[in-house]
Amino acid sequence: MGIKFHEEPRLKNTVMIVGWPGIGNIGLIAIDTLRQMTGAEEFGEIDSWDFFYPRKVIIKSGILEDMKFPTNKFYYKTFENNDLIFFIGEEQPGSKSTSSYAEGEEAYQMANLVLDVAERFECRRVYTSGAAVALIHHTMKSRVWATPNTEKLIEEIKGYQNTILMSEIEGGGGGGFITGLNGLLLGVARKRGFEGICLMGEIPVYLQGLPFHYPKASKSVLEVLGKVLKIGIDFNQFDELYKNVEKNIEDFYRQIPSNVRDQLDKLKEFGYFKQTELRPMTENSRKKLWEEISEFLKTGEKGDEKAL
Amino acid sequence: MKKPFELINHPKLKNPTLIIGWKEDTGNIAPKVIDIINKELDVQKFCDIDPVGYFSMAGVDVDDDYVQFPESSFYYSKRRDLVIFKSDQPVFNHYIFLNSVLDFVESFCRIKEIYTINGMISSFVHTSPRRIFSVFNNPEFQESYQSYGLEGLNWEGAPAISSFLLWVAKRRGISGLSLWLEVPFYLAEVEDSESVKLALSFLNQRFNLNMDLDELDLKIREQNEKIELLREEKAEVNKYIGFLESGMTLDEEAQIKLTKEIYRHFKG
Repeated sequence: MGIKFHEEPRLKNTVMIVGWPGIGNIGLIAIDTLRQMTGAEEFGEIDSWDFFYPRKVIIKSGILEDMKFPTNKFYYKTFENNDLIFFIGEEQPGSKSTSSYAEGEEAYQMANLVLDVAERFECRRVYTSGAAVALIHHTMKSRVWATPNTEKLIEEIKGYQNTILMSEIEGGGGGGFITGLNGLLLGVARKRGFEGICLMGEIPVYLQGLPFHYPKASKSVLEVLGKVLKIGIDFNQFDELYKNVEKNIEDFYRQIPSNVRDQLDKLKEFGYFKQTELRPMTENSRKKLWEEISEFLKTGEKGDEKAL
Repeated sequence: MKKPFELINHPKLKNPTLIIGWKEDTGNIAPKVIDIINKELDVQKFCDIDPVGYFSMAGVDVDDDYVQFPESSFYYSKRRDLVIFKSDQPVFNHYIFLNSVLDFVESFCRIKEIYTINGMISSFVHTSPRRIFSVFNNPEFQESYQSYGLEGLNWEGAPAISSFLLWVAKRRGISGLSLWLEVPFYLAEVEDSESVKLALSFLNQRFNLNMDLDELDLKIREQNEKIELLREEKAEVNKYIGFLESGMTLDEEAQIKLTKEIYRHFKG
């Protein structure tokens, strides 16, 4: 179990930005887009076979030539004052038969290996990114839920644009759960003494289980990261790249039964939670809407417990 | 703390060959081949791998009306210098599991070569001669098998556990060969005695095992007679198999229908 370095870059005042797949691939798209836009160069990788079943075998004329695994690569980019390390994991470790997100010993080992690199290059901070499943409509701009791994970062986050803390979400009370490695890494970072912040882009609750990316949320995360890290981002290029996804989401939305769609449309009027002065719905109507959406989302789901 | 290996006894092994069969296999090839080897060569279990960490302990599967439990066991033959590994496919920590198997056979059994037996779905008809496809993990090892009539497999896609094992073995410098026995797609869910015999015949020839395979000839005759009977009873089955015999392929719907009819006929 280890890390291979192809080169040993000299870095200063470094921030690490980490992305794994998740709901709508929100974090992964945001971080990988930033990596590509900055022209970051690969300098190392974590051996995959300890964590993953191979994706592909190449057998030619009876000879096993190669085995392809999900990659876990490190990239770096130097700037005048601050340097960046990116880590992009193509898959979260863990059995797909139990969960599509990392959990248990393997996830903990993976988190520690990533942080070993952060320690080696004296990173002062780690950012992760993921999805925040929210009662919003897909025509609305996604906000970014930001969760730090230490109380002292809360004031800083309050200064980020289009960003809220867990305590600002209705019913959240400042608590919640960040699934998978995007969350776990920050916990392990806290244990090891790194500052860390998870930036989660909002995805409408009715899109969370679909095989679509949700670039609108990735864009919101990118906007925050761009400002915080003082990196200019070409959003025209980003919008062009994902315009077909927006169209697919619209097509899906039109296929939703009209009675359910009417309910979902109310999310547009409802707006974001906690905007109490603008709230057009009562608490009871919000609950009713949520029940109806939940019913719609449950349609077609079947338990997998075997009957004896 | 529990040991990963539970050694039951210490057989005297010189330079044995390792044959591996996974318990779930297309056409039931590997389990049947291993069962016949175990019976013919008077084998004894000598080691188990502890399932914790590799299999779910959240409950148990029930199959054929009784409880199943993951098994990963090593057997040795008293009559031949042969080690057999029969196992369920691990659910977790595949790389660690496969390395553990190789750790054990390398250090305890002094294995130099490994062989895996596997069934492979094919679109051909059961009345055609079966072929054995091969995957080697190094060209030199392949060279030494020129005279055995094995066909080199070509495949780019999802790897089977046997291919993963061969890759791990290659990294450790252990030569490996996976034998892939063709199984007509409509026999994949039952048992293909013809391919079972072909695999055993290969092992007989390669390792001078002298296993008596006459009983399998009877099974093959029964298998073919059963299919003929179904062809007489069901015009659709006869039509589909007739298409295959004339070199045509079946569409997906016809393939599923034929497979279901055969399954019902064999498993009742």
